Amino acid sequence: MITANAAAVSATRGGAALAKLALRRGERSLLASIGLHGALISASFVSVFPIFWVLVTSFKPDTKAISPQPKLLDESNIDNYLNVLSGAKGDFLGWFGNSVLIAGLTTALAVFVAASTGYALSRFRFPGRRSLLLGFLAIQMFPFAVLIVPLYNLLLGLGLQGRALGLVLVYCSTTVPFCTYMLKGYFDTVPTDIDEAGRMDGLSPFGVFWRLVLPLAKPGLAVTAFYAFVTAWGEVAFASAFLSAADESKTLAVGLQVFIQQNRTEWGHLSAASILVALPAVAVFYLVQRFLVGGLSAGAVKG
Amino acid sequence: MRAFLVRHWYAYAMVLPVVIVVGVLVLFPLAQGIYFTLTNINEANIANPVLDRPASYEFVGLQNYLHVLSGSESYGAFWSTLVRTLIWTFGCVFFHYVVGLGLALLINRPVRMRGLYRVLLILPWAVPPFISVFAWRYLFNSQYGILNQGLATLGLPTPVWLGQSDLALFSVMVINIWLGVPFMMVTLLGGLQSIPHELYEAAEMDGASPWQRFRNVTLPGLRSVSSTVILLGVIWTFNLFHVIYLTAGQNPHTRILVTYAFERFFSGATRDYAVASTYGVLILSLLLVFVMFYRRAMRRQGEVW
Amino acid sequence: MAEVAYVNASRVFPGNPPVRAVDNLELAVADGEFLVLVGPSGSGKSTALRMLAGLEDVDEGTISIGGRDVTNVPPKGRDIAMVFQSYALYPHMTVAENMGFALKLRGVPRTRIKEKVGEAARMLDLEKFLDRKPKALSGGQRQRVAMGRAIVREPSVFLMDEPLSNLDAKLRVETRANIAALQQRLGTTTIYVTHDQVEAMTMGHRVAVLKDGVLQQCASPRELYERPANAFVAGFIGSPAMNLKTVPLTGEGAQLDGVVVPLPREVLDAVAAERLTEITFGVRPESLRLVGADEGDAVGRAFELTVELVEELGADAYVYGSARVGDRPERFIVRVDGRTPPAFGQRVRVAVRDLDEVHVFHPETGERLSG
Repeated sequence: MITANAAAVSATRGGAALAKLALRRGERSLLASIGLHGALISASFVSVFPIFWVLVTSFKPDTKAISPQPKLLDESNIDNYLNVLSGAKGDFLGWFGNSVLIAGLTTALAVFVAASTGYALSRFRFPGRRSLLLGFLAIQMFPFAVLIVPLYNLLLGLGLQGRALGLVLVYCSTTVPFCTYMLKGYFDTVPTDIDEAGRMDGLSPFGVFWRLVLPLAKPGLAVTAFYAFVTAWGEVAFASAFLSAADESKTLAVGLQVFIQQNRTEWGHLSAASILVALPAVAVFYLVQRFLVGGLSAGAVKG
Repeated sequence: MRAFLVRHWYAYAMVLPVVIVVGVLVLFPLAQGIYFTLTNINEANIANPVLDRPASYEFVGLQNYLHVLSGSESYGAFWSTLVRTLIWTFGCVFFHYVVGLGLALLINRPVRMRGLYRVLLILPWAVPPFISVFAWRYLFNSQYGILNQGLATLGLPTPVWLGQSDLALFSVMVINIWLGVPFMMVTLLGGLQSIPHELYEAAEMDGASPWQRFRNVTLPGLRSVSSTVILLGVIWTFNLFHVIYLTAGQNPHTRILVTYAFERFFSGATRDYAVASTYGVLILSLLLVFVMFYRRAMRRQGEVW
Repeated sequence: MAEVAYVNASRVFPGNPPVRAVDNLELAVADGEFLVLVGPSGSGKSTALRMLAGLEDVDEGTISIGGRDVTNVPPKGRDIAMVFQSYALYPHMTVAENMGFALKLRGVPRTRIKEKVGEAARMLDLEKFLDRKPKALSGGQRQRVAMGRAIVREPSVFLMDEPLSNLDAKLRVETRANIAALQQRLGTTTIYVTHDQVEAMTMGHRVAVLKDGVLQQCASPRELYERPANAFVAGFIGSPAMNLKTVPLTGEGAQLDGVVVPLPREVLDAVAAERLTEITFGVRPESLRLVGADEGDAVGRAFELTVELVEELGADAYVYGSARVGDRPERFIVRVDGRTPPAFGQRVRVAVRDLDEVHVFHPETGERLSG
């Protein structure tokens, strides 16, 4: 279509040499368009296929899931989902509950603790501020391997080893510094004029934080909370190490592994369980993802 | 002193909770972890209040470090594991960045169905990683995985992807690259969109070709975002545990420093905490050295952070 | 209603060397007065305002409002309201909530808040927008909301920090008049910061000129224009800027390209006392005029200018031309009748309209020497 236009234009101008120039600004040749879409379609295919295949498999019986001639539909039904939800294949709902509890508690605690510190780091110039900021960055570097033994020791001492609360504390060691850093970044985008206007209107520094900055940073809080949640939701190492071997204390990340241990390869059931776990996560992810890129747009109201 | 407190009272009150959390959950354990590397602590001699058993581990000096750094197979073959870790880290980060940048550039153009492409391309980030890992294990399965089915149809060899060979390292790297590209893409896309449009127009007026515009406008414009995400990428990948652990278990061909530390912590009859901690401290030292050099290199290029 | 006084107030930013953003400011503002703080960027005018607001520490000296020392009082205890350059409206609140927020914090009953907000909204023509969020308003409307937020409080002092700089030129002129009228009507003491000397001259009862944190002069607009205290104020106030040239002295006056501009006796005495051979000679573009060839006597007292640029503004035209002063060329600006401007390259003769309009400053300190 575009090349046809271009050809027509160049013909009327009577110069084939103009054909290339006659593309209007921002237009692409057909070839470039095909290349662009081709690249994007292949990338999207690679990106989606593994998950798509899990979805397909989740409807197949376990025996068909390991068939050497895979088909899209192979005696597909929803039995896997029913089995998983009814607990016939391990305490799925229990694991789900544990994951929600642990991730939820971690999120609440981390965001609550991190918010005020993030604000102080964003607004106040107090001695020690720089070293704190650098410290939070440095903690990003800590391999869990250096902390795992002392934390294990600490939990043993506190009697929290094998308990959900213990795991929450352990997760806080990584999520709190990270959330602080993230929230500081969001608070930085709220103009300080707003704080000062609030001070003039009669708020204390804490009042400014609570009544003006927190409401304005809601998108940032949402993203940070989501991040904390996802970190705890998908964590494997500490969960494997610190939760007791009893089935009812497992999180999803640990529990699902039993589907595919040596003597059990229940790919159909694992797939169904995976879809059930992924669905809410994916849904929430797409709700907050625009904030991940765009940053805060609600921040400044300037003329 | 009083004036000092009056002025900064609010700031310190607001910072205190995090300082406490970090102190109790990070700094104190860190110090203790470093101490443990000088002992022979393991499951049998750690203090366990549940069993009403006091600690009975002993100070052994630098013995753990000597064992580990000797590169002995029974202590995880440190040097060859380090090489594997470096291949894993830089291979993954390199492809994360290159593929991520490529996709970000494509998606930053006005393309029909751009929104849809973006949603599809971010999917690997949205799915909990342990689920993705299961999905890939299924794809990579040598007997009934769809990858080998496809290769067989084309008449190509069908290798054992996750077996006892270096192919397993390649496979886990593929999985991790697939997992990490969306994050890079999204951050770099943000960076691309923050480059003022006028710069491209000015470059065009100056007669710069598309390649020259990429070299002289896009890449410098992405410099600060890139230096940050690459640094974070290296640190995260160096420490990344769950992909390898969930895909390949304790396969020595995919063993990197962190997974070995976890092996020593979690399995074996004795659960050797001292060696696990030693690995942890060595990993941390390596990262610190890397960050130091990285910062210096960035500063030389005029990047201040 | 209250008067405001800065007594030797300073703000020192730590650094090496420390920066004295506001240096020993001594300034008294009468009750009900409209005082404008003006100066180039970095002159400390905003810092001075923020010290009064309580948003910036007072490192030395004191500040009082209504006779009460507020140097260490937090902003909320000072009974002041402020209009910010960016307006700083709360994006998550409606216009009505924005305006009533301070009253709500003070625990004023809701019906009373509504009444007050309604009143202010009527005054500012904002009634239609009370339920909107700031995002949905135009720049001018946001500016009025910011004003309304200050008015509703009925504070004893208004502080305004460049409140018009985000408006376009036409709206700025309009709003300028509205703010001045509003202040007249409310009679509230107002301190207004701007970098725009036209705003300063048109709005203020008195204008305080700052430079590098130091108060240069505080006087009525007329006084600033007619008797600037130093060369900086002379050059800063008035548009186009005053012609300020360092010129050699003769016994009777200033030597300009072959002619001598006579100076009053007391200036010559002051100069002699300081043993100066040069002075900074100042004359406003509107104090110069073109001399026709037929004005026999005047021709002898005029100096010659080669026209380099003519800016035609309709009613007036600004003529930029160079003349020799001493042994170097200097550029002068002359304001002439817009109907008959000279052409580029033309040589014209220029004379001072009235010798009373000549300003003389010390060539080094810049202090005013003429009476």
